Amino acid sequence: MKNISQSVPLVDYQEKASGKTVFVNDIQMDEMHYAKTVRSEKAHALIKNIIIPALPDGYFTVDAADIPGKNFVKIIGEDWPIFAKRTVNHIGEPIMLVVGKDKAVLEEIKRAIKIEYEELTPVFDFQSSAVHKHYSKGDFESLLEFPHRLIEHTYETGYQEQAYIEPQGLIAGLENDRKIKLVGSFQCPFYVKNAVQSALGWEPKQVRVIQAAVGGAFGGKEEFPSLMACQLAVAVNKIRKPIKMIYEREEDMLVTTKRHPSRIKLSGIVGANNRLLGIKAQIGLDGGAYVGLSSVVLARSMLAVSGAYAIPNLDVTGDVYVTNTVPTGAFRGFGAPQMIFAIEMFMNHLAEELKIPAYEFRMAHLAKQGDLTSTGGVFRDPIILNELIEKVAKVSGYHEKHQDYQANNRFKGIGMSCFFHGCGFTGSGESTHIKAQVKLRKDKSDQVFILVAAVDMGQGARTTLKKIVYDTLQIPASQVTFERPDTDDVPDSGPTVASRTVMIVGGLLARAAKKLRDQWVHNKETTVIEKYQQPDFIKWDEDSMQGDAYPAYSWGVNVVETEVDPVTYAVKVMGIWSAYDLGKAIDERIILGQADGGIAQGVAYGYLEVMRHESGMIKQRNLTDYIIPTSADVAPTQTFLVENPFAYGPYGAKGAGELTLVGGAPAVALAIEQAIKRQIHKIPATPEYIMELLNHETN
Amino acid sequence: MKPIKFSLNGEEVELDLNPSLRLLDVLRDHFHLTGSKEGCGEGECGACAVLLDGHIINSCCFPLGNINGHSLVTIEGYSKTKRYKALEEAFSEEGGMQCGFCTPGMIIAAESLLNKNPHPTEDAIRIGISGNLCRCTGYNMIVKAVKRASEKGAGLW
Amino acid sequence: MVKQIIPANYREALSLLNEEPYQIIAGGTDLMIQKRNTAGLPPKFEKNLLYLFNLKELKVVIKEPSQIRIGSMTSLEDLLDHPNTPLLLKQVIAEMASPAVRNVATLSGNIGNASPAGDSLVPLYLLDAVVVLESIGGIRRLPIEEVIVGPRKTVIRANELIREIIIPDQDFTKVQWTKVGGRRADAISKVSFAGTVMIKNQTIQDFRITLGAVYQTVIRNRSIEASIIGQTVSALKAEAETILAQYEPLIRPIDDQRSNKDYRKQVALNMIKDFIMKI
Repeated sequence: MKNISQSVPLVDYQEKASGKTVFVNDIQMDEMHYAKTVRSEKAHALIKNIIIPALPDGYFTVDAADIPGKNFVKIIGEDWPIFAKRTVNHIGEPIMLVVGKDKAVLEEIKRAIKIEYEELTPVFDFQSSAVHKHYSKGDFESLLEFPHRLIEHTYETGYQEQAYIEPQGLIAGLENDRKIKLVGSFQCPFYVKNAVQSALGWEPKQVRVIQAAVGGAFGGKEEFPSLMACQLAVAVNKIRKPIKMIYEREEDMLVTTKRHPSRIKLSGIVGANNRLLGIKAQIGLDGGAYVGLSSVVLARSMLAVSGAYAIPNLDVTGDVYVTNTVPTGAFRGFGAPQMIFAIEMFMNHLAEELKIPAYEFRMAHLAKQGDLTSTGGVFRDPIILNELIEKVAKVSGYHEKHQDYQANNRFKGIGMSCFFHGCGFTGSGESTHIKAQVKLRKDKSDQVFILVAAVDMGQGARTTLKKIVYDTLQIPASQVTFERPDTDDVPDSGPTVASRTVMIVGGLLARAAKKLRDQWVHNKETTVIEKYQQPDFIKWDEDSMQGDAYPAYSWGVNVVETEVDPVTYAVKVMGIWSAYDLGKAIDERIILGQADGGIAQGVAYGYLEVMRHESGMIKQRNLTDYIIPTSADVAPTQTFLVENPFAYGPYGAKGAGELTLVGGAPAVALAIEQAIKRQIHKIPATPEYIMELLNHETN
Repeated sequence: MKPIKFSLNGEEVELDLNPSLRLLDVLRDHFHLTGSKEGCGEGECGACAVLLDGHIINSCCFPLGNINGHSLVTIEGYSKTKRYKALEEAFSEEGGMQCGFCTPGMIIAAESLLNKNPHPTEDAIRIGISGNLCRCTGYNMIVKAVKRASEKGAGLW
Repeated sequence: MVKQIIPANYREALSLLNEEPYQIIAGGTDLMIQKRNTAGLPPKFEKNLLYLFNLKELKVVIKEPSQIRIGSMTSLEDLLDHPNTPLLLKQVIAEMASPAVRNVATLSGNIGNASPAGDSLVPLYLLDAVVVLESIGGIRRLPIEEVIVGPRKTVIRANELIREIIIPDQDFTKVQWTKVGGRRADAISKVSFAGTVMIKNQTIQDFRITLGAVYQTVIRNRSIEASIIGQTVSALKAEAETILAQYEPLIRPIDDQRSNKDYRKQVALNMIKDFIMKI
């Protein structure tokens, strides 16, 4: 293949289109039982008593008392119970499973179970910080000693629900007396395996985890499946029969992890010549009832504080607040979308106060190669933001339209966002936590097997990783096999998260393939293992949050044009134009498809998707009430990829999966701002919010 | 209760099941035709879509009792046709698939549309698939795929 | 165990209904979801079920000299395709739900369901639709506003079914439909507006407004409309605020997971004003 970016068909397109792809709910096993979850009805309460009716033969309840190992889902800390025991901390918190063969009987048993609660006072606001972090760059406080202008704004973002079309589910069963097999829809087979080992107190060789086809994930199947897996594993261990647990949509939306709502206060100090000298940020994320992954989400949020800009002085504080609501977790972007919304709006609002054009103000502060990052690392690689901006501005007619819409009151607006995304795990995560390994095995017939834990959840990993291997080996595609990961067969190449799959796992596979090519002997069985090695130049201190937070950065620009209906305040997105630098596309069509999907989610996060809770109860719990875009909602979209190869990525590739979601919300919010001539501080910028803003003279 | 009779993927079948059962459950649990999926259970996402006399319906909110005397085609039956092949190729060439969960429903929606309107405009395509939710693709490549199938598959519809 | 019958013909359906109460199932798109159980289990229907969906006698649309008669099992999509369906009704149906739902849903199902947010009811009230109810005992013809008396409450008797919906032919100078939903397809209305006007010689001969999703039932006020008839267009525009003030107390929306009452009310009034000012 001359140019790896040249698109190839997805390896599994025929299976997908004809409905033959096997998703977890399509799997049947002999003697299959079902599990249904009994959940808390209270946001915060003590469980005083549980009355369980007499159970018919073959029906069981499974709860904390049945856990042989630890009653915590192994994610990071020991904070998230597998089953609630004495206290419940959010509506929908799992208390027990009811297991049996007949679903009608399970429903009856569930109805008959009576739980007596002693209610406690729930907390819903930002009171109780469970994670507190701080870092600084330069010396923000010292700026206050000189003549300056201090401008402050607070921004808020709401929940976002991943709304993968395939709800969550798993099947588990015993392979033999002391080995359990779990099959399911998840992003991280080894997260699931490690969690189950901890819950059962079993050895690694006793737990086998196999990925079923995944019908969309977007981070929602990163850590949450571990909770379901632990529950199922404990149940299987108890009844010694296979069990299937599939969430239906309402249950899924009520209890699974979502994007952290945030409140971000930004204080900017502007000095002479309208130079933004420093930002003080106070970031608050709503972690829900259990911290889970939230400390890492917070870190990414904090690290993104200066967005696409180089700001010399920073004082950044972040907190994860625990509230009596559904635990929040990973969602494509992982803390960055909240921060990028805030910083992009802030740059615009600063310019407004300074009475200078926002575009010029932002251009004057764009990061360049050689600049320090927010944590005092260095942007070592070329940054081609200016090229991206020029391209998008030209095709969208941004400047002409912006001027026109600014000068006239026709309820039209156009907004631009510039942003970046740190590729891979933060700092030394790859070398200290993940320690990824990949394996290539060539059998006697010269068929090469890719053995990694990377999950294809629609982002095309099965196709792109295979491409890297057969292209490097210069063999036909059919000579390479990449099955869905089975932990019995594959090494832990790390979770399918953080936009690391092509850059890190693909990078390791490229090196392994090169080694295999160099030692290729026909019809000889050969195995090559490649282990991750952190490049020397990545220096990161976790505690002080100083150094190179990421090995590489991808960059993007989005322009969104909107019209607002002055009668109904409804927003119509008229056009979307984007340009991205993700190093090099391993497959252009796959990347462009990811970009389409990402910007649709990002823009919808900004104006369409509403999820709120009332006293801890999620109000939008189905796909009728939680509004995601239909085909009739999506605007004409144009995307450009500009190559900027990264020396340490396979074929120059950097991270791509999350970048395309991160900038959509501020772009659409800025467009709406211009259309209604009011400042926006909250997303989603719904018609209801727009009406509120317009009902006030100015803001 | 008389048995319910209908044609399923071209074959006549007779069922003596509870007529209020969801057609989706009958297809998946009784006939083991798992190509139609449950994405929402409330007629919103279209992942359960099948063809009733050539027209798209959501099988998750269609009672078995209403199928009496009709012709039903699921993705399993439809995927054996030439029209399907044209759509499959077009979806691949235009990148209209990512995770694949919504895809059978999308293809059913495309067939239902093209059956009625063999040369749809882009707007008509957007309306034709407006009842099928996709979270991966942002729809643009799916719309292009349907357009491409209608053009390259001229004469099929 | 409930009794479930698929009647062989219309007469059998009437006769069965007269013997004991049945829940009538038309397309099922509302009922199957309202009564849904966990996946794999039949819905939680408590009454006997009568499946009328396949009664061919009820799947007809008949154009008569001054009206259109729509059989109660006609699908919304078939209505959308029919040349004689009034334009306003077509505009409304085109924005309802999705193709899959429209292929199966019926006006009679919408009427039986009597949802405050039911889109199709809004044009039916405006067009003076008449609902034909039949039982073994005979036929009743009632204006739609007398059939629906509250959220999910109708005057349809236990032994009656909806046979057809009659819409008289009428001409309008201008027809306006605005649906305000969460998105551009597949949305339940937050508030909806239908307005028609008939003008001759700059004078208003006929003026109608109906509003959906802002009260327990569709709002239509014939006395406000009557007061406008005979005015000139410019006089009407001049007193737009007075008209709004008359509609204002009738609009009593609620807060729910889709929107809030302030938004619904203000937008409803905006739409009335916009309609008047653009005549």
